Amino acid sequence: MPFLSRMFSLGRNLLTRARVERDLDAELRVYLDQVTDENRKRGMGFAEARREAQIELGGIEQVKEHVRQVRTGQMLEELFVDLRYGIRTLRKNLAFTLVAVLTLALGIGVNTAMFSVAYGILLRPLPYPAADRVAVVYMNYFPRDFKFGTMCIRDYLMWKENNRSFEDPSLFRSLRMDIGGNEGVPEQVQGASVTAGFFSTLQVNPLIGRTFAVGEDRPAAASLAVLSESIWRRRFAASSAVLGQTILVNGAPSTVIGVMSDVFRFPRRETEVWTNLPQNPPTRFGPWFYRGIARLKPGVTMEQAQLEINSIGLRLMQENNYYKRLTLPVLNLRDALVGTTLKPAILVLAGAVGLVLLIAVVNVANLMLARATVREREMALRLSLGARRGRLIRQLLTESVLLAVMGGATGLALAWGGIELIRAWNPGNLPFIDSVRLDRSALGFMFLVSMLTGILFGLAPALQGSRADLSSAIKEGGRGASAGQARGRARAALVVSEIALSLTLLVGAGLLLRSFLNLQRVTGGFSAPPRQILTILISPGSKKYNDEHAGLVFYDEVLRRTRSVPGVDLAAVTDSLPPDRQGDADTFVIDGQALPSGEMNPIVSEPTVSPDYFRALGIPLVKGRYFTEYDRSDSAPVAIVSEGFVRRFFSGQEAVGKRIKQSGPGNGDKWMEIVGVVGNVKYLGLTIDTDPAYYMPFAQTYGPRMYLIVRSSGGTVGLRAALRRDIQSIDPGVTLAQIGTMEQALNLSVSQPRFDTMLLVLFAGIAMLLAAVGIYGLIAYSVAQRTHEIGVRMALGAATGDVIRMIAGQAALLTAIGIVIGLGGAFALTRLLEALLFGVGVTDALTFAAAPLGMMLVVLVATFVPAIRATRISPVVALRYE
Amino acid sequence: MSKATTNLLQGTLDLLILKALALTALHGLAISHRVEQITNGTFHVKPGSLFPALHRMEEAGWLSSSWGDSENNRRAKFYRLTTAGRRQLQTETRQWETIALAIASALQAS
Repeated sequence: MPFLSRMFSLGRNLLTRARVERDLDAELRVYLDQVTDENRKRGMGFAEARREAQIELGGIEQVKEHVRQVRTGQMLEELFVDLRYGIRTLRKNLAFTLVAVLTLALGIGVNTAMFSVAYGILLRPLPYPAADRVAVVYMNYFPRDFKFGTMCIRDYLMWKENNRSFEDPSLFRSLRMDIGGNEGVPEQVQGASVTAGFFSTLQVNPLIGRTFAVGEDRPAAASLAVLSESIWRRRFAASSAVLGQTILVNGAPSTVIGVMSDVFRFPRRETEVWTNLPQNPPTRFGPWFYRGIARLKPGVTMEQAQLEINSIGLRLMQENNYYKRLTLPVLNLRDALVGTTLKPAILVLAGAVGLVLLIAVVNVANLMLARATVREREMALRLSLGARRGRLIRQLLTESVLLAVMGGATGLALAWGGIELIRAWNPGNLPFIDSVRLDRSALGFMFLVSMLTGILFGLAPALQGSRADLSSAIKEGGRGASAGQARGRARAALVVSEIALSLTLLVGAGLLLRSFLNLQRVTGGFSAPPRQILTILISPGSKKYNDEHAGLVFYDEVLRRTRSVPGVDLAAVTDSLPPDRQGDADTFVIDGQALPSGEMNPIVSEPTVSPDYFRALGIPLVKGRYFTEYDRSDSAPVAIVSEGFVRRFFSGQEAVGKRIKQSGPGNGDKWMEIVGVVGNVKYLGLTIDTDPAYYMPFAQTYGPRMYLIVRSSGGTVGLRAALRRDIQSIDPGVTLAQIGTMEQALNLSVSQPRFDTMLLVLFAGIAMLLAAVGIYGLIAYSVAQRTHEIGVRMALGAATGDVIRMIAGQAALLTAIGIVIGLGGAFALTRLLEALLFGVGVTDALTFAAAPLGMMLVVLVATFVPAIRATRISPVVALRYE
Repeated sequence: MSKATTNLLQGTLDLLILKALALTALHGLAISHRVEQITNGTFHVKPGSLFPALHRMEEAGWLSSSWGDSENNRRAKFYRLTTAGRRQLQTETRQWETIALAIASALQAS
């Protein structure tokens, strides 16, 4: 009831203000009349009665003011007054307002944009219920040594059998799939093979139809397929008749049972088909194709699950002596999707924009302090007229928050542009880029940051401004005396912190830039110009090509036709491509190598390549020979090893002529003679140290899905159509996918570091610009303040050099202090960059030396302009100044 | 009357106004007279305190007001107790009695 009554009063006071006021006025006038009446009854004359009544009332306006003070919503009303006054003041100081709003817009804009990125990637709820309870389970073991590697069905069965932490552990595998059937031309898509519990673990429902039911992953279960919405629209015109239809998946008939919405994108962003994975009882360990996914049981934490799974890992090692140092890392779904390198990068960038905002705040605080000097008399006057100090502070804060919100609103446009830019320039492997957008949460963030910013940069000037020493302020007349000096010191401190902050950013940006340049210098191990290399993933489609003989004939024809396309210099097929498309990998034994019992060689890349592979990519031959057309399936098995392989497993001794053999589970007994040694090539990414590799001739280790490499010195642009036509005409089931140049592949592989570096360099640039504006402002202001003094000095014979030295000396001192603090901050903070750096230490001497120099240069330029202006001061004018 | 006694505590003023309105609705001047009357002339409420108090109490929901004709045929704004106001009067009366009793016993203590 009291609350309702207050709300009612608030509405009345704010909405019908004029009426409320009229009412109050009438009430008091009646009172006056009544008292006058009484006085007259006591025998006074009208004039006297009236005067006495007025004395009794004590001033009608004061009484009204007192009543207004107790009204609900009084604060709001004052706020409106302050806002009106603030807008007027800001409009009167257009230059100040413009500079402040633009500075804030820059600071808040980049923060809002970066917030949207961080929120979209790290925070926005995933489209799966309680996604933080879903874990992806990996396997890491020697000899493989992949931190987030795969397991085999036996490992999964052991996990499932001993599991108590998760509901229904499921298994999935990503793979390329050929899709075909009556509905359209065959195509290659990204697919996934999953156990029956996969969809129910993620708790997602299909658009139409159903997902896999319990038991549909039993051995010899019928082949079923769930399609994505995209493929459903593309190939089936979004018709519900698709349900129950039979399509060809990798040449085998499968029944379509459901369609998933495109919001569902797992395990990969581009996954379009999910098939059921029949768990045929494995006869051995391997192949290692799978990752686990499971939902935590209620009350179980991720840490507890990890502990339990660790003990399962121990049992796996006991059961299979092939596994050494085995662990089963568990990641929650988001970390699994985002990856482990992106998160630190985004956090560093978010921190960096925080610093940019801080610098913007310092700059505006500085402007406000300068203006506070000008407004000192206004404040003093208002204080002496009886304004309360709290009231003045509130008014000044209202002004600064108003400024900040204007900056924020302008910044919003900037943020929008920034986000569009980031999306357009998506490095290609940023997950959830679609969920990066300017939305309600970003708006909320922007508003909150604006308010905080306004209070932050407004508070110091407000406190100082409202404390004006009345007599001196009114006397001072704007020329720097005692209070002015204190303010000068505060401004100097702000500029120092600005230099320190932007130097810290500059060092960070410098480190990332150096790291990125290092990365650019890394080659994949091949000398062919990346622009001249075109790669295409080819699948012959029909099941008949699973047969080695038919397949080899097919690929001979592919190569023959490719070579006959005008402009093609060399053509080859391979299952692996630098810099990061590793094909098969396996462990091996060397004939005559004495391995301690129970030990084995690590798993290394084992590319399968046709003879011209090395020449096409320009991989140097160090010793022996390349593969030739005579290394056929019916000739003696041969292999080529990399230099790194020789160094590591032959201790640099002669390798040509020795024999090696694949030795992972499931391999036969085929000894291969090493016939050549080639240069090192990177197959696991540019930042991974070159891994040893052994190559096998395609003709002796056939696989149906292969990359075709085409080298053309004339460029690859005109070739695509001809290649597609000529290759597809071999067999109607043939599909071509992932057509792109090596240049694109290299760019994509460094896209995230490039993204990080570009952004941090941009942020450091903004920081420097803001710092330069801040220093310029301070020096220019102090020159203006000291015009009189400079004039006197020049009149007394000071030379131009003396004046410049005097002005620059001040800047130099501030810069020196700022640089010392900034370097300290950089030392403390750059270790956060460690995970992002390649080939450069967090305390890289060059960066730590160059960044301060750059900073000094900027300060020099910012100081130079006002200093030169100081020397142009004419003594005559200066002495008349003011 | 010494100055100290007229320097009313805010709570006291509220209580006196509530009490003054306990029987019937009154306009501002009448409330002032009524307070003076029921306190035997001890308290004279000045308009500078009376009107802010009336408006505050009205916004709190204890009083309601309406314009009506006064005894000498002038339009005046009359205040009356609301239900919440009556409850408030009871509460404040109890509180005051407790305090008065406590102070009295404190002063009598030897």
